[in-house]
Order: sequence, then structure tokens, then C-alpha cells
Amino acid sequence: MTDDELDRALFALPLEEPPADMHARIMSATIYRVAPTFQPWELVLLAVAVALVAGLTAYLFGTTPKPAAASTIGPWPVCTPSASSTAPRTCGWPWASRRVWWISSLPFMAPPRPTVYNR
Amino acid sequence: MGVALLADPPAGFTTAGVPTDDDLIALALSGRGDAFGTLVERYERAVYHLAFRTMREVEEAKDAAQEAWIKAYRALASFRPGAKFATWIFTICYRVCCDRLAKRKRFTGEAPPDFADPSDGPERSYEAAEEAARLRAAIEALPEKYRVVITLFHLQGKQYEEIAEVLGLPLGTVKTHLFRAKDLLRAALGQSAQRRTT
Repeated sequence: MTDDELDRALFALPLEEPPADMHARIMSATIYRVAPTFQPWELVLLAVAVALVAGLTAYLFGTTPKPAAASTIGPWPVCTPSASSTAPRTCGWPWASRRVWWISSLPFMAPPRPTVYNR
Repeated sequence: MGVALLADPPAGFTTAGVPTDDDLIALALSGRGDAFGTLVERYERAVYHLAFRTMREVEEAKDAAQEAWIKAYRALASFRPGAKFATWIFTICYRVCCDRLAKRKRFTGEAPPDFADPSDGPERSYEAAEEAARLRAAIEALPEKYRVVITLFHLQGKQYEEIAEVLGLPLGTVKTHLFRAKDLLRAALGQSAQRRTT
């Protein structure tokens, strides 16, 4: 077999037929690929936030004052450091409320700058 | 997809008739997914052929070809205008195949077989198909470095520089490999012809 004959035979050789689902697979992995709604780091952040909120909620609602507890440590004003050391969960309510009120009163907005006129 | 592309040519579409690869790439980069689809249609078969010849397993070849297209899609913006898309996609595909072969070697602890199972050859009743099958089997039986050179020679014609670019080999090495591969093919085909006559 000469070199030319071999070349002709090689070029006449049909290409391998790709599997039937090949094109659809490529398309769905490229141009039809649905972009994820959230990035991985966003999901992690969201999970941390949800865990924090869930933990805080469980902490607060799990410590609703009960009559029995109220009788042992008394009403709101007696939630002193000594009382909170004996029943810290019950005293969590007023503590959390005070912190929420304090955070909400923070001045997050920058004060308006004084107007300076060019002279 | 290709029909829609031709029916609605955007401004600056210079080529009359069939869009060139560069036109399609520019359109795909401007957000026309159908242009990339047309590119896939054009080269899908050749890319799969290269993957199949390198990997020698349908499933592996399918995965390698798909991975090559995904990589090409993601890196489309880095494609040098004026370069040949075929050479670029073949280079990506060949590298993907090399990575997969290297992984396969690592995990199985053995080199992939250099010679194909002779029982794999398709049996055809007519002469031309039989010859093609013999040639295919002879290519399959070539060592990997020769098989890939012959496959690219088949896909890209006598453009040795492009074959060298895809394989990352010097031009002289490509020519030597091709010469040796053809020698081996001729010998294998001669042997099979002798077996048939005896």
C-alpha cells in the first residue's frame, strides 16, 4: 500500500458517531445550564443567619416565665444579678429586650453635613 | 438553531451565507446561545472522534467530549480572534483526555492497554466497510502516541503545525510519529490482507 493510498483510506474513514444524547447533554451543560439562584457563600451566610435566629428564638421562647419560676424569683424588678444567677434563662427576656431597645436607638444614619458655600 | 442564525443576521455580520467560526464565537460572546449551539453541531462529531480514539471507551469518550465543550464554553472569551477554532477545541479535548488517562493510570495502578482487543472489530459484509473496519482496527492497535497523531491527521488533514499545536509537540516529532504510525498501519493492513488470502 502506497502512502497516497493510505492517506486516501484514512480520509475516507468515517468519523465515530457520537451517542444520540451527546448534543443534548452538551447543550444542557452549557447554554441551557440554569444558573444557581444563590452562590455557595450566600447559602452558607443564609444558613448561619437562620441558625442564629433559630437559636435566639429557641432561647427566648424556651425561657418563657412560668408561674412556678415566677414564684421563686419574683416579678420583673427583682431580676437582679443575684436572681439571674439562680434563674438565668428567665431573666434572659428583660436582658434581650433591653439590648434590642438599645440597638434600635443607635444613630445609624449619618448626620447631615453642614452646607459649605463657595465664596 | 443554525437556520434562525442565518435568518436574523445581526449588524456587522460580514460573511455572506454560512457564518464562519469567528462570527459564531462573536455572536456567542454577545449572548446568542444558538451560535454556540451551531459551533457544537459543527465540531461535536470530530471532538467525540478524537476523545473516543484517545480514551477507547464510549462512556469515557462521552464524558471527556462533554467536559471539553464545557471548558470551551467557559473560556470562549479567551479565544484569540483569527486562531482556528478546530485546533483550539481539539487542544482542549486532548488535554481533557490526557488528564483522564493520567487519573485512570493513578487509580488503577496500571497503564491503559496499548493494543486493542482484536475481537472488537465490526464485521461487515461488503468490501468497503470491511476495509474501513480493518483500518479502524489497525488504528486502534497503534500505541497511544501514534494513534492520536493519526487521528488528528485524519481530522485536520496535512496541517502538521496544527497537529503539533494540539499535541504540544515539536513539528519534527509530529512528522516522525506520523511516519512511524503510517509504517505500522501499512504493516498491520498488509498482515491482515495476507491472513485473508491464506
